[in-house]
Amino acid sequence: MNIVVLIKPIPEAESRLRASSDGRQLDPEGIRFVLAGYDESAVEQALLLKENAPGSKVHAVSFGPVRCEEALRAAIALGADNATWVEAPPEGSDDPILAARSLAAALTSAPHDLILGGKHAGDDEEGLVPSAIAELLGIPSFGSVADLRPAGNPGGISFARVTEAGVEKWEVPLPCVIGLQQAWNDPRTAKLPNILKSRKAPIEKIDWSKTLAALAADSQPRSVSERFALPAPRTGAKMIEFKTPEEAAEKLVRLLREEAKVFP
Amino acid sequence: MTPSVLVLAESPAGAVSGPTKEAFGVARTLAGPDGSVAAVTTGGPAAAQALASFGPRDIWVADIPTESTTSGAVAALAARAAQESASAIVLVGGTTFGRDVVGRLAVRWGAAAATGVTEVTRTDSGELRVRRPVFGGRATETRTLLGPRAVIALRPHAFGAASEIVGTPAMHLLDRSVIPANEVAARRVSLASADGASGPPLPDATIVVSGGRGLRTAANFSLIEDLARSLGAAVGASRAVTDAGWRPPSLQVGQTGRAVSPQLYIAVGISGAIQHLVGMISSRTIVAINTDPSAPIFKVADYGIVGDALTLVPALTQEIRKVRGLS
Repeated sequence: MNIVVLIKPIPEAESRLRASSDGRQLDPEGIRFVLAGYDESAVEQALLLKENAPGSKVHAVSFGPVRCEEALRAAIALGADNATWVEAPPEGSDDPILAARSLAAALTSAPHDLILGGKHAGDDEEGLVPSAIAELLGIPSFGSVADLRPAGNPGGISFARVTEAGVEKWEVPLPCVIGLQQAWNDPRTAKLPNILKSRKAPIEKIDWSKTLAALAADSQPRSVSERFALPAPRTGAKMIEFKTPEEAAEKLVRLLREEAKVFP
Repeated sequence: MTPSVLVLAESPAGAVSGPTKEAFGVARTLAGPDGSVAAVTTGGPAAAQALASFGPRDIWVADIPTESTTSGAVAALAARAAQESASAIVLVGGTTFGRDVVGRLAVRWGAAAATGVTEVTRTDSGELRVRRPVFGGRATETRTLLGPRAVIALRPHAFGAASEIVGTPAMHLLDRSVIPANEVAARRVSLASADGASGPPLPDATIVVSGGRGLRTAANFSLIEDLARSLGAAVGASRAVTDAGWRPPSLQVGQTGRAVSPQLYIAVGISGAIQHLVGMISSRTIVAINTDPSAPIFKVADYGIVGDALTLVPALTQEIRKVRGLS
């Protein structure tokens, strides 16, 4: 099975977020970009499937600026067989539709039975790229998936996902695109020798000029970011003083009804 | 003429979902007095009938079994409806269903797209501008959607539900032949109601009560469930609770679990690690109960109580039952 894993480097969870000087986007200065938790889960899932079906290949693919290379090396250190960096336009773009079109153009000629991604990226939380790629490639897609495994029938996959309706179990034919929900699979950590080896691993680069030629009229972003804003920090809780639990409960319920007005 | 705004409806078992009602409200605002609102559903005549109470002028309806309702099939049908209704905007509630369809529909229909949207406005030049929380609610971004068409998934609970309007919409049947052949082969083989299905599902709930390690044992976690029941709330949990196996992972709120944005979030015995905060910080009102006055959860909460969950939670359940006339 040829498994593609979509990778997006995102700021470390503990990063201090700041707007760029023009106020339009996140200022990347001083931020460490890492392999997202969702992506680690996707790589783990790909490796588990590979271990189950010998001869399988895991191909990590990332669209964006040069920092993609480091995230791809992290995926290689975990066990991905090869990696492709799809270069973003030099002026930059955070439009998910353009990202999907660029990735789909790269994947058209790369073997893909199963394309795995996170349900959404931990930074912009759009979650559009995997399903948009599926539409461009003309294959089915499913988001919010947990517990993915090979189906009884060859050439298929089965999975469970939690939706508003409950726990759904699906059997779907390959090829397809899967957006993974959460770290249910406890991702492995890379071993030091593999990390060292990954530093020298070759990474295929697809130049923006090549993507531009492939996309022709569709190479324009469909959205632009205007403003990146940090909300005023919450000022801290109003603390409720009390002598008995009953008094605390009564005071809290009164505040919720009369001040916060969250229930009648 | 202002073109029509199309609502891609989710109407499980013929009932209109909360996020779909919100989408109708936003659609009316965007359409304005001169424009019109249309709806599309893949749930058959019963679903279409339910949608009629929200005043669309036209309803496009397909009847496909829920066992084979894939995002690809819905996107194909919705794109056809968008075309036939000459719409410029498609709105959908940001549920699992909605978020899965948006990217596909945008590609198929040649539109811009955005998800998790909490505000939609039109600029002076007529372009759509959306605001959306990013980084788990730690920041917001404002984007302009370019071009004449846009598909937008709205964040649940960010908008008011539309009022019902009496109307007699024109019904139009959608031809199932637009569904790609490889979508038909996918099958939902089973559906079980969500774990611990006493309350509403997490992403849908207007109130969420979450418990953490501060409850000390798996058995004590039932205090959280009692409180949730008194409020008609969904139950959530911190990662410590799901990792310890006290409750299933589907209840986990946070970076590796679900993100929720209810009207009221009550965190009990949860210290407030950043991994948890990113999953709930965009809740409107946050209440924290914790024994440790220096717990980071109190920095993001609106109301805080320092004390033991094991005595405070039963008292709170009792008080809520009292004011709601339940006991």
